[in-house]
Amino acid sequence: MKVVIMPGFSELMIVINPTGEVTREGMLSIIMPWFYAPWPGSQEKGVIEMTVPGDTLRALLTELSKRYRQANVDFEPINPGTNDLDFDYDVLVNSKNYVALDNGLDAKLKADDTVKVKVLWRWDG
Amino acid sequence: MLDESELIRYNRQLIIPDFGEEGQEKIKDSHAVIVGVGGLGCVSASYLTAAGVGHITIVDSDIVELPDLNRQVLYGEDDVGKKKVIVAKRKLSRLNSKVEITPVFAKITEENVLNLIDGAHVVVDGLDNSAARLVVNSACVKQRIAYIYGGVSRLRGMVTTIIPGKTPCLACLNPEGVGGLGVLGVTPAIIASLQALEAIKLLTDRSPALAGKLLLFNGDYMKFQLLEMRRNESCPVCSSTLPR
Repeated sequence: MKVVIMPGFSELMIVINPTGEVTREGMLSIIMPWFYAPWPGSQEKGVIEMTVPGDTLRALLTELSKRYRQANVDFEPINPGTNDLDFDYDVLVNSKNYVALDNGLDAKLKADDTVKVKVLWRWDG
Repeated sequence: MLDESELIRYNRQLIIPDFGEEGQEKIKDSHAVIVGVGGLGCVSASYLTAAGVGHITIVDSDIVELPDLNRQVLYGEDDVGKKKVIVAKRKLSRLNSKVEITPVFAKITEENVLNLIDGAHVVVDGLDNSAARLVVNSACVKQRIAYIYGGVSRLRGMVTTIIPGKTPCLACLNPEGVGGLGVLGVTPAIIASLQALEAIKLLTDRSPALAGKLLLFNGDYMKFQLLEMRRNESCPVCSSTLPR
């Protein structure tokens, strides 16, 4: 599937097989540049397009992890120990938490679905 | 001026290049406020006391409970049921009697926070929830006091140093997540030690390494990451009150 990645406010936003143009127009500033744009030139470009092998949420997150690793950014939303989402992150598809999807991480994504990946903060003391 | 006993006591840090007596005197003349003396605050308070910070205020509204003892190393079984700040003061004073320890038994609120941090050179986070942290963050921005955020869950932790007007504040980052996930005792010890290091660097006019950066610790896989963050131009807390 083709995906377009753009920085949200404090989250990563990914549009799946977009049927229209995807731009950052009107969006807030980027506060976590490492999260969005570890690739040279990507911040100037505004959005990043890439092809992901497979059509599931898991395939998307796995491919992203691989691409970030190539850019020396440790972004591993799928915990290799549990094979589920790591608790440092949350993932929503069309504003719905991934656990509420029929097949969870193995849910198939369709055109114009919007995936948001959030980094979760630690609050215990 | 440091007296003879202080020159002996702090010898191991006095001989650090660029620290010396000047650095020790700065620490001695400093006031640190530690908000929360739980897993994080017990450790940061211990190291700041040992380092010779002249005045430390500790704020907490809890009593010691048995489940605290896996990580809150200032307390023992005999302290269960006692006010944390009172026990902590006693233990910290035994560690370094020359440090003035002010215990405040209070819950942090929007109404009292400005009084609680008044006169502080640095505020060190030892809290256990997001709401109180955001209250402290706003007050520190308002008073232009450096605030060292630290948070943990399980075997994971985060630290960042917030310098109002220079770095993103906590509200800039729209932090999300839940607490109550459990904590392994050594995790807050690691994070609070880093907070104490940042505090000492700030108090001695050294550049804090975590200003504008978020340090992530992952004890499951023993990974540390240092990530850049930027101020939010539309931050409801710091964008309108502080220069860019």
